[in-house]
Amino acid sequence: MYYIHAISSITHQNTFRIDNIIKELSPIKENSNLISPDYKEFIPGAALRRLSPVLRIGLTAAIDCKNKIGKKFDAISVGTALGCLRDTEKFLKTFHTSTSDFISPTSFIQSTHNTIAGQISLGLKNHAYNMTHTQNNLSFEMALIDAIMCINEGKINVLVGSADEKTPFLELLQPKIISKKYPLSTGGSFFSISKTKNKIGIIDVKTIFNSKNTELEIKDFLKKHKYETKDIDVILHSDSNIEIPKSCHFINFLKYSGLYYSASSFALHFAHDYLISKNKNSALIVNDICIDKVGLILIKSNEA
Amino acid sequence: MNIYITGYGLISSIGKNIDESLSSLKNYSSGIEESNLKTTKGFKVGAIKATNDELKKEFNIKTDCSRTALLGIIASKQAFYGHNISKNIRTGLISGTSVGGMDTSEFEYKKYLESEKHDINIYQQHSSGISSEQIAFELGISDFINTISTACSSAANAIIMGARMIENGFLDRVIVGGTDSLTKFTTSGFKSLMIFDEEFCKPFDKSRKGLNLGEGAGYIVLESEQSISSTKKEPLALLSGWSNASDSFHQTASSPEGFGAQLSMLEALNKAKLKPENIDYINAHGTATPNNDLSESYAIKKIFKSTPPFSSTKSYTGHTLAASGGIEAVLSTLSIQHGYIYPNLNFKNPIEETELTPNLKFIKKNKINHVLSNSFGFGGNNSTLIISSI
Repeated sequence: MYYIHAISSITHQNTFRIDNIIKELSPIKENSNLISPDYKEFIPGAALRRLSPVLRIGLTAAIDCKNKIGKKFDAISVGTALGCLRDTEKFLKTFHTSTSDFISPTSFIQSTHNTIAGQISLGLKNHAYNMTHTQNNLSFEMALIDAIMCINEGKINVLVGSADEKTPFLELLQPKIISKKYPLSTGGSFFSISKTKNKIGIIDVKTIFNSKNTELEIKDFLKKHKYETKDIDVILHSDSNIEIPKSCHFINFLKYSGLYYSASSFALHFAHDYLISKNKNSALIVNDICIDKVGLILIKSNEA
Repeated sequence: MNIYITGYGLISSIGKNIDESLSSLKNYSSGIEESNLKTTKGFKVGAIKATNDELKKEFNIKTDCSRTALLGIIASKQAFYGHNISKNIRTGLISGTSVGGMDTSEFEYKKYLESEKHDINIYQQHSSGISSEQIAFELGISDFINTISTACSSAANAIIMGARMIENGFLDRVIVGGTDSLTKFTTSGFKSLMIFDEEFCKPFDKSRKGLNLGEGAGYIVLESEQSISSTKKEPLALLSGWSNASDSFHQTASSPEGFGAQLSMLEALNKAKLKPENIDYINAHGTATPNNDLSESYAIKKIFKSTPPFSSTKSYTGHTLAASGGIEAVLSTLSIQHGYIYPNLNFKNPIEETELTPNLKFIKKNKINHVLSNSFGFGGNNSTLIISSI
């Protein structure tokens, strides 16, 4: 088991520094906005002005997690599906339209996917292992697999999370290559995990490519940990078309997070607080935001 | 647990396969030339001299994909040649890339900026994750697919991730490395940072001015002991050590003393249970920027009391960004296999502060036991691999 010791989420819901987010959540509306904390509390003004939403979210959530555990991180593992999109587009615009030989490098420097994790290492003055995974809808699951391996290898406190941002351009790609079923959104959730016991633990995470039968994959995954689908109290899914027992609460997390491809980190925060507030035992996250590619995360309460 | 290297493949401006690449290295023949391509016109770059259509035809590839994915497919297919997909061997692909499908999307985006009609379907090729899925599809791999994107250390980190997946018992065999194509995005980016050399790059030289960009892909196949007992593959070398550490100094510049680089080299040596004096050759990151080469030289001097032969093969290939750690892991494996130490081109005078002279001749030794390969990326992301003889 890999226990969750701190969570920090900045999303379109009121999730930042809220003890339990369950009562704060309501289905996301069109044209909703990111609920930003006062970033100045975490990031100096001059630096803050240069940072895009996804960088502000990552750095602030990481600092918040660190403050909560009061210890340094022994590894940092970040997932992002599309990376630093705002800076990427900004730099595309700069070099495509500039007539000058000299253009500002700032947006180029901040466009690489690992700027989120890099800014965290800089902000926390952290010299540890620092990794960035990008695998479309499974980006957070990849970061989580890495974090779990870090703990298996003896690292004590590991920061793991994901963040993605929407831009006006992404909305132009709807509905042709991005579903229009949910409003696009910006968000990030970060977790401090360790071997030390706490209320909620992650049992396992799995990624499946070319999934032919998600229900069967879920069954196999649960069986490995001596669970059956009927034992699971809540399944947080991404509009998944799966049959589930009546006893199980079935929640489409995209209705609350909005659509960003690494939103399964939000689902983990959701599931964590759900188990605590409802005094339930187990939760499964089924992330098949992209067809055929499924991420499964199984968590359980240590108390219920 | 031993992690075996049982396959390799690469493509870059110095060759489309192992033989061509070795022949260029032996003949001191760099792939860097003045470019007349639309993305890199006027710069000296290490471009692969074939269009996407020519490459697809030559290598019989049908997938509709970005150049980044295409180069990845070509190199990874070489690496996986002679290997078979089997139900009993959990096989993954972990690929590093920094640009993904930017080589195609950047031109569609220009049309969008100019309010012209742009083909939205093109952006389906854009995400870095898609390029890896396309490579995996060509190889027939679906057990596990992941993409690492940590700028210029991406491929090295993909290799590290793969080795750890095997160590943790999550995979039996994994194809690891990276791919990046030349884009106007990265060319404009490095130009804006003013770290290009308008002439041929001169790694570790006192008068070095900056880097030349390149493109390519390089992959190795890693297998567990149990996997080779079933695949019967002849191991070429061992991946004996690895580490990733943060410099935590600046988003793009390395700390003057190369603190992160020192950490990653030390931890990789510890992981391999080796002492600095056991290293026979260092394939340096050596981008030829004033900052990197000074910082890396300091770090090497600090870790190695007596500096082993070292060189930057980026003087041949240019800096292939996310692919560089993959290409250099292939070259390091060849070094172990054949006893090669590669030359560092365009070097005249050592950096005054550190006075290190890289290896300048193509050398064939009787035996090379351990090669250390560095890859450093933006965000202070420092990675070191150690490849050893069996």
